[in-house]
Amino acid sequence: MSSPGSKLREKRLAELNAGATPEGRVTHLETVAFGPSLAVERFRFGNGLELLFCEDHSAPVIAYHTWFHVGSRHEREGKTGLAHLFEHLMFNEVEGRKAGEFDRKLEEAGAESNASTWLDFTQYNVSIPRDQLPLVVKLESERMSRLVLRDPQVKSEKEVVANERRYRVEDDVEGAVSELLWATAFENHAYRWPTIGWMKDIEGFTTEDCLEFYRTYYAPNNAVLVIVGDVPEAALLKRLSQAYGALPASTLPLEDVRPEPPQMAERRVEVSKPTATEKLVVGYHSPAMGDFDHPALSLLAEVLFSGRASRLHQRLVRELELATEVRAFVGPFRDPGLFELFVSAREGKTAEELLTVIDEEFAKVQSEAISAEEITRAAARLELGLLAGLETVDGKASTLGFYEIVLGRPGAAFERLDTTRRVTASDLLRVARRYLLPRYRTVILVRPDLSATTDREDAEAAQ
Amino acid sequence: MSAVATVVRLSDAGGAAVILETSRALPLVSISIGLKTGALSDPLGKEGTTRLLSRLMRRTAGGLEAQIIDTRIDSLGGSLGADVVHSTMVFQATVISRNLDAFVDLLVDILARPGLAALELERLQRETLAELKDSLDDDRGLARRFFRRRFFGSHPYGRSVSGTPKSIPAITPSDVAGVFQQAFVRGNLVFAFSGDLDATRASHIAQRISDALPNGPVPSDTTPEPLGVTGRRLVIVDKPERTQTQILIGCLGSNTQDEDHDALLVANTIFGGTFTARLTQEVRSKRGWSYGASSNLPIDRRRQTFSMWTFPKAEDAGPCLKLELDLLHDFREKGVTKQELSWAKRYLVRSHCFAIDTAAKRVGLELDQTLYGLPEGYYSRYLQRVQAVTLEQANAAVQNRLSDENLLITVVGTESLMGASVRDSVANLASSEVVAFDAVD
Repeated sequence: MSSPGSKLREKRLAELNAGATPEGRVTHLETVAFGPSLAVERFRFGNGLELLFCEDHSAPVIAYHTWFHVGSRHEREGKTGLAHLFEHLMFNEVEGRKAGEFDRKLEEAGAESNASTWLDFTQYNVSIPRDQLPLVVKLESERMSRLVLRDPQVKSEKEVVANERRYRVEDDVEGAVSELLWATAFENHAYRWPTIGWMKDIEGFTTEDCLEFYRTYYAPNNAVLVIVGDVPEAALLKRLSQAYGALPASTLPLEDVRPEPPQMAERRVEVSKPTATEKLVVGYHSPAMGDFDHPALSLLAEVLFSGRASRLHQRLVRELELATEVRAFVGPFRDPGLFELFVSAREGKTAEELLTVIDEEFAKVQSEAISAEEITRAAARLELGLLAGLETVDGKASTLGFYEIVLGRPGAAFERLDTTRRVTASDLLRVARRYLLPRYRTVILVRPDLSATTDREDAEAAQ
Repeated sequence: MSAVATVVRLSDAGGAAVILETSRALPLVSISIGLKTGALSDPLGKEGTTRLLSRLMRRTAGGLEAQIIDTRIDSLGGSLGADVVHSTMVFQATVISRNLDAFVDLLVDILARPGLAALELERLQRETLAELKDSLDDDRGLARRFFRRRFFGSHPYGRSVSGTPKSIPAITPSDVAGVFQQAFVRGNLVFAFSGDLDATRASHIAQRISDALPNGPVPSDTTPEPLGVTGRRLVIVDKPERTQTQILIGCLGSNTQDEDHDALLVANTIFGGTFTARLTQEVRSKRGWSYGASSNLPIDRRRQTFSMWTFPKAEDAGPCLKLELDLLHDFREKGVTKQELSWAKRYLVRSHCFAIDTAAKRVGLELDQTLYGLPEGYYSRYLQRVQAVTLEQANAAVQNRLSDENLLITVVGTESLMGASVRDSVANLASSEVVAFDAVD
């Protein structure tokens, strides 16, 4: 039986759709719980554009995110980094507006805006004072379909991205080694190249490459709007229908997914970098985020590596004083990724010494049950992390958008929390024995050397 | 309807100020406990003492083992960190509200009954030295560190908050205990609560912590005003294998007590305070020379710096530096336009909602106001003051406060790739030196 609220919504949608284009007609699909006190409404427009809306009156602001189902996984050899370069270009020029006007107008409105690209997605986020909604709807809908791409802008933005790459990769030991890890661990899947792209590919992009990418992937039926904040639903829908209703859907290409074959033997690479101490970076092939094992493996990573009380911090940093820092995370991706470890050795200590201790601790979790107290503690850390990320409307929109794109379920953050609370010692034993095996790992040993080869040579050689 | 709660001040708890905003939006409680003293309290030659103290307190609360404390914090769904800067120290804690009472028990032990065990201090000193070694990998951090050290020279703001490879081993248990006894007196604390708790509970927590601390004289801040540098001084921090440079250029900046403080803030917004500001447009958008380009005007109890930050590739370092100096010169000579001023005021006024969109942020501003002794209404009357800035005031502030002649220029990179070009790009250099990246003092 439908609720009074849903009847009112049906009536409003009927009125709205009566005057709308076929592309602009709105259908309400579902209401999704988002934690104990919030709900998210899912709508779809006639042109395929999805909307996730969470009405939140905690502050007079609105988070307006646009997520596209395109990331570096949709690129091909020789054109790596195109999704990321394109993210930059989206801030340049739109038909009928001067170059740079997008940012200028948004800043004048008091907005905070940014964007990011990763393996599975590209997302654009704008936070605005609530009275500036009309402007952001107009600007965002314009750049989804009327972006202007010219040679000078592409050339200048390629240079900016090359500089970003120098900052994050070439001159950053951790960035360079992480890139080398993925390029070595993956041989077939598109996750093997970095989101920012290889330098030679960045340098080689043409304006035509960018135009083709835009026409292919930037369409309403490849996007999800995630809007959280202080705006009534009816007013929002009307405005969105008018702005996005004229945009046609496009035919999206079939993704050329190439599954990664199972790794059968450890891969080990030794590199020299201009760094003060040795580093150890290890990647174990890990399940996709939607896999049944992913929450348990994430909890295991928490037990082993997260926080000062974690097992590896205690052994490596505190007891043995071999390391200054330990970190790990299980890749939250649509396809299988890596359980990635990073450890920085103290002066005079070797990466091999670090790996020996890690192996000892992994052997323990493969043979002995982890205590209920440790499991509870790790789950509490994950709960705190989730809640702390939801204080702002932007944090809520980021969480909703991420889980929608990767898992297709915007409220999955809280579902995962419930799943995590049900993880048992047996589950942890199972995932430790299944995934933390030497034959599934790639090990990068970093030696300090101030006359090292450049990072670009190392990673591109791995290709 | 949007509800914007207000910050309330409770009756003092043992002389300590208490700030609170209740918010039931999430089952979380945030507690910030600030001290009006920071790393400036470090004994001379023992830089890093206050930061070591803050970390040692967490590891020795109530005489417990560090592992027990860490385990307890995590088990309660809590987090605790300490942020030590020159003038203040703030312990920042967050906990899932159902575990608040048990968390507070631990917090009282950390703040009022730390064991400060000598063995743990030694371990922490070794850890800190290793972290300092690791920090050599961070080029941006190196630029900031060399810039501050050279810009402020012997002034206390030039001291390293984290300590140095020389100062850390020199710190003794009695140094740490001395700073603790001096700083942790009732009147030196400010409590700021936000989230899922009410006034009665917040007051009770503040009272418990205050009651566990002694009364005592509140240390005063006798730091003199810094003088900055005279002439254009260049420091190249030579580091091998760099494809890129990190450039920091700065002069003396603003003091919140200045009459033209707000005018300078607005002018800085126009120059390098946003993505479409002059500096970003010229360096990034037009030329693609640097992924980021911005200018900054931080505040403290005494005058801080105005600085520009870019990170061009080695070949572009010289031209980029010259462009920045030209832009600064033009900024001083020609000022800002009426149109730019109107734009900046609209930006600052409208975007202010994001500085106050959560209870934790609103409480945080009140905490800063109290800790730094900012002028009355520094944050609460911010919008009115920004609105009131005139074109004449903005341009006078730029001319009077900023200098394009008395500047420190710090460039981190591979000297052989950019040194000559960088030196050639700076007219009227008063001094130029090249230092090794690991010669951090």
